[in-house]
Amino acid sequence: MNNLLKTLIAILAIINFSWIAKADYPEKPITMVIPFGPGGSHDLNARVFTSIIPQYLGNAIIVKLVPGASGQTGTAMVAQAKPDGYTLLFTHNYVDQLQHHVKKLPYKPLSDFVTVGRLNYAAACMIVLSKSKYQSVQDVFDAAKSSNGKLKLGHSGMWGATMVPMAQLMSWGKVNANLTPFKGGGPMVKGLLAGDVEAVLHFPSVIKGQGSKVRTLACGAKEKSLGTPPTFEELGFTGQIGYMDRILMAPAKTPPERIKILQDALSKLKDDKTFKKFMKRLGENMKFMSGPDYEKIRAEKSNNYKSLVKQMTKG
Amino acid sequence: MLESFFNSFPLLLGSGNFLTIISVIALGLLIGLFVGALPGLTTLMAMAIVLPISFFMDPLVGIPFLIGVYKGGIFGGSIPAILVSLPGTGASVATTFDGPPLTKMGKGRKALETALFSSVIADFSSDIVTILLIGPIALVALLIGPPELAAILFLSILIISSTSSGSVGKNMIMLAAGLFIAMIGQDPIAALSRFTFDVFELRAGVPLLPMLIGLFAVPEILINIETKAKEFVKTKLNLKKEEKLTWEEFLKLRKTILRSTVIGTTIGMIPGVGQVVAAFVGYAAAKNSSKTPEKFGKGELEGIAAPEAANNAVNGPTLVPLLTLGIPGDNITAILLGAFIAHGLRPGPELMSEQGSIVFAILLCMLIANILFLILGYFTMPLFSKVVTIKKSYLIPLTIIFAFAGSFVFRHNPADLYFLLFFGIFGYILKKLQFDVTPLVMAFILAPSLEYAFGQTLSLGDDNVLMYLLSERPIAALIIVSTPVITWKLFQRSKKLRDVATSLTSSQVKSS
Repeated sequence: MNNLLKTLIAILAIINFSWIAKADYPEKPITMVIPFGPGGSHDLNARVFTSIIPQYLGNAIIVKLVPGASGQTGTAMVAQAKPDGYTLLFTHNYVDQLQHHVKKLPYKPLSDFVTVGRLNYAAACMIVLSKSKYQSVQDVFDAAKSSNGKLKLGHSGMWGATMVPMAQLMSWGKVNANLTPFKGGGPMVKGLLAGDVEAVLHFPSVIKGQGSKVRTLACGAKEKSLGTPPTFEELGFTGQIGYMDRILMAPAKTPPERIKILQDALSKLKDDKTFKKFMKRLGENMKFMSGPDYEKIRAEKSNNYKSLVKQMTKG
Repeated sequence: MLESFFNSFPLLLGSGNFLTIISVIALGLLIGLFVGALPGLTTLMAMAIVLPISFFMDPLVGIPFLIGVYKGGIFGGSIPAILVSLPGTGASVATTFDGPPLTKMGKGRKALETALFSSVIADFSSDIVTILLIGPIALVALLIGPPELAAILFLSILIISSTSSGSVGKNMIMLAAGLFIAMIGQDPIAALSRFTFDVFELRAGVPLLPMLIGLFAVPEILINIETKAKEFVKTKLNLKKEEKLTWEEFLKLRKTILRSTVIGTTIGMIPGVGQVVAAFVGYAAAKNSSKTPEKFGKGELEGIAAPEAANNAVNGPTLVPLLTLGIPGDNITAILLGAFIAHGLRPGPELMSEQGSIVFAILLCMLIANILFLILGYFTMPLFSKVVTIKKSYLIPLTIIFAFAGSFVFRHNPADLYFLLFFGIFGYILKKLQFDVTPLVMAFILAPSLEYAFGQTLSLGDDNVLMYLLSERPIAALIIVSTPVITWKLFQRSKKLRDVATSLTSSQVKSS
């Protein structure tokens, strides 16, 4: 009997039931849902920052990948979770600010979530295999035209971070193409390498890892690490395209003092030497933005997407 | 490549590294073993928690550490599956078929040892195959696109359904039920809500873990309570005093282990299929080629060896897409990817050509981890048995606690307890009606991937899918053509087996 009791107590201690522990927030590891597949750029960025943040937060952040339904499965999971600060969402602007213009969602992004902070942003680049005959974005457009819209292009999920800019590009070039979805950024790269699709948009951190296997045709911003390919703007596209903000969100009903603790911890990252070193290895920028600052531009961005969606669903 | 292979040895052996590596692997194995053995705490969680620690170690210390947690965790998950029919992951579901019956017969220790030996042998062999064939395996990974994956997943579901123990009709009903349950929630491609009946809890779909525990552990508990099996309450479960696996018994298993290793390694080369399918196919194959298939599910050591060897043989080849292409195949390899990147090693084509010796050193660490695990597992088993040395009458309430706690800690969502209860009662009714829930679980686990790959195939095929398959996807076309033939053969064979089994039981009834 004694043995049994001891075992039970030990097990309970390990499982760490929330009603037993009573320390300050966060007294147990925080779960951070990433609504995308493994190996994508969100995954990589999260692995790095969650490994450094415990020293500022006092507890670990556990990454949980919940891909599916263009990021909506994971987002819905966080929307459903208890708003106690132990379930967070690491997402991007398209899921957060665009998708609710497309269809009815089981949550209201703008009012159900509040920004903890923007970690950084990434600007998408168009890549093809190095052995591909396409040397420029124009070549891809021409191929789409001559194939009568059958040119196979990939994206990483309906209304997601690479699908929206790809559709924008197609409408700018006045061409149609076969857009095939992949379960996140990792599988999409495999689709490109295997020749299932001929061109995709992806972010510098992932493109760097593919080395000489792929060629970058153009990017949303100046990317020195990729040999400074032209930007879409330089090619004649008006306005920003393909900027993805990696944002950390909490359910809106999370106690404000807990959000403050998270915001403080996140903002300390940008001066952390180890963080800087790791982000450099990833090839990511550190354009951090605080939660309140991001909230200011969030609604406006969402409004801009509204007209974009209208325009895209019409055509 | 050969040069980088030989250069990997000094990396491992040089300047006192070796001792550090061995001790961190051993530490990782123990952490993994312990966490994996607790239902609801997954290997994935354990790895995520220790990941930051590994960032600040030397790459050749940190990554082997994670590999240790990984390998320990996978075996740890089999312990509750064998002892109390609590599968922590889809991969250990097949182990619950023969594990608990063996435990009831007082052969729990033999079952655990069988699981340990089969896991380690299969894992070790598949790692060697991986080291030897890393290039070709990477090529195979690229040959499998959405159409091939859809065809393979469809065939897998059919194979497993046709070899399950229920009748063909019942199995098909279970298969359809599994597919239906998987559809509840949002569809994977266009994200439209399906069959949610405006119930908010259903919008994110049905969670796997409460469902598994509900379907496998709860009926087991209910039946134990119901039968009040006298001998069950009286005796003590004491692994320490139980017989060990004998050499003769082990020798009888070698064919099964070998077969499952081949199956697991092959399945591991196909990205997106994974351990769950391997375990079930390994089990089905062992049952199919056994001379006494009717013993399966009633406490057959082969029924432990087959799924355990198969799901561990997946481990080696799954690492290949990560190491050679920079694309992780599942959440666990995604964590390893994080560890690599934080160490400034970016898996992908460049890493293989520039720092191949590090890649090989890591693969060698997997071999070392296996050997260490064999030793550690063997000697910690008495320790584990001490923990489980309890009166069997305590075992039932304890299992209930574990079942509920396991479902809850998974994502701290009270709705999961309702799911657990629902599937528990559902599973109990199914068991009473002699339905085998295997096809349901399989279909549920594989349906989302199947549906996604199917949708992708339709998209890639544009307006003429048939032409696309025939002209550009010969492998997929071949699998599709052979599907009816393979399924028909398996159906016939399993029908024959069932006939033998029924005639056996009826003759037993007559003689008694």
